[in-house]
Amino acid sequence: MCFLYLVAGEDNQIPFFRIIKMTLKRTLILCFLLLAIASAGAQSEENPLRIFGYFQNSLQQWTAFQERPKQNSFSLQQLNLLFQKDLGPSWTAFVNFEFLNNFSSSRQWGSFNLEEAWVKYRASMRFNLKLGLLVPIFNNLHEIKNRTPLLPYIIRPLAYETSFSEFILIEVLTPVRAFAQAYGFFPAGEAKFDYAVYVGNSPNISNDPSRGQTGVDTTATFLFGGRLGLRYGDLKLGLSATYDKDNSAEDLADALKIARPELSAIPKIRFGGDLSYNFANFSFESEFIKVSLEKDAPKLERNLDFYYATLGYHFTEALFLYGSYWLLDSHAALPALPNEIKEEENDDIKVVTFGASYNMLDRVRLKVQFARIRLDEEELQLQPEMMVRRTEDDFSVFALAISVTF
Amino acid sequence: MKIVIVTLLFLFSLIGGLFSQVAVIAHKSVPVDEIKKTELLDFYSGDIKKWSDGSNVIVKDLKPKGDVKRIFYKFLGKTPSRMKSIWLKSMLSGEGDPPEAMKSEEEMLQKIAATPGAIGFLSHTKVNNNVKTLIVIGKK
Repeated sequence: MCFLYLVAGEDNQIPFFRIIKMTLKRTLILCFLLLAIASAGAQSEENPLRIFGYFQNSLQQWTAFQERPKQNSFSLQQLNLLFQKDLGPSWTAFVNFEFLNNFSSSRQWGSFNLEEAWVKYRASMRFNLKLGLLVPIFNNLHEIKNRTPLLPYIIRPLAYETSFSEFILIEVLTPVRAFAQAYGFFPAGEAKFDYAVYVGNSPNISNDPSRGQTGVDTTATFLFGGRLGLRYGDLKLGLSATYDKDNSAEDLADALKIARPELSAIPKIRFGGDLSYNFANFSFESEFIKVSLEKDAPKLERNLDFYYATLGYHFTEALFLYGSYWLLDSHAALPALPNEIKEEENDDIKVVTFGASYNMLDRVRLKVQFARIRLDEEELQLQPEMMVRRTEDDFSVFALAISVTF
Repeated sequence: MKIVIVTLLFLFSLIGGLFSQVAVIAHKSVPVDEIKKTELLDFYSGDIKKWSDGSNVIVKDLKPKGDVKRIFYKFLGKTPSRMKSIWLKSMLSGEGDPPEAMKSEEEMLQKIAATPGAIGFLSHTKVNNNVKTLIVIGKK
């Protein structure tokens, strides 16, 4: 008898035929689910989800500078996991996760970022639309700054060196994300005219949970930007610009004993220019970026200028040699009330670097780089009396790396 | 004697190279009968992904290194490594996949004949009536 009843309780006995019925019902539901999964699998065979990515491991030796002693370190500089799926003839979805500097959450090393998550609609070469979290088109190198397998550098030109974001204002120098972008090109004979326009958040992103949702823009302003470019054979050039309003100086208001709104919504303008050209086995690329935040009454200025130029030579199909010069110049003038200290800061970072990269396989690239870096820092105290403090330092970085696409 | 043989082989290889002709072929359904260098480069660089009738362009590459591949990419004005770099950029940016690389010219011919919208290249002498020849590169 005990085989014919499922005893859930002494007063709650289920007859055998009900068990069979329930089992059949569950089996049918399971079969249906399996069929649905199999059907989805069959569909995904037509447009499979592609998972791929790349990483760069490096060994870097930094000579001593300021109060930091000489150091050697291996590092998984960057690992990117990419997911791509074609959703239809003209639709593509793309997700990019980025791990930086030996990322480990338990050890509090590095960082893990959702860099991109967008869907693209390609109407024609003249019009593409990306919606979602995306890296907007700015200068030439900005487009591929995080694609380490494409770059000969181990340490990238400073405005693009993501692993230095803890001490270089990368997010001020370049627009790191937008949420809608239209782009394409118009052919005219052998020339192509590129365009891109985008909109995104201004940099006033909340990371304070007590104010509500984090990761969102806390103001009613937007980032607007775009690039116009020309491609003609091996020549590529372009001009880029962005505009947004920045609230980051608001925190100064309390210290300066002025109302916060007086230092809010400061217009920030970025200009960029890029030029690259390949001739015979030589390649040349250069860029500039100018960022300016300015406000009158109270007077506040923050200007960042970045330049780089690289001359390279393809010694063979696999071996590329280059020399490059980078300059990052920053100027900041803070507002001050009468009879209080007023300061200006001028900082320069100059880098001369040489390197080589060698493609061992199509997807394995070895790199070597030497960089000589000079830091010049100048602090001017303008009130109550003029004082100048200058510090200068030189140091070198030698690096080896392997960059792998998988 | 060895020097004479090596010299002759070198001269034959030069002459062979001079007389190699590469045909750019496409599936018979494609809406064009000829193609310009700039259009070909646009297809291979991924700038243009559709034929004039709206059908997809499916680009094929040749895996073996040799005269055929060298002549084709020289015609495009790009080295094979430069093209690979363009495809890698496209792939890592989510803009498109690298072209499928055929193991041999015979496989190239079969795939192009069987795939609507496909375009590829091989030695002119190996072309048959199952595909459309859009341009012949190199002088006879």
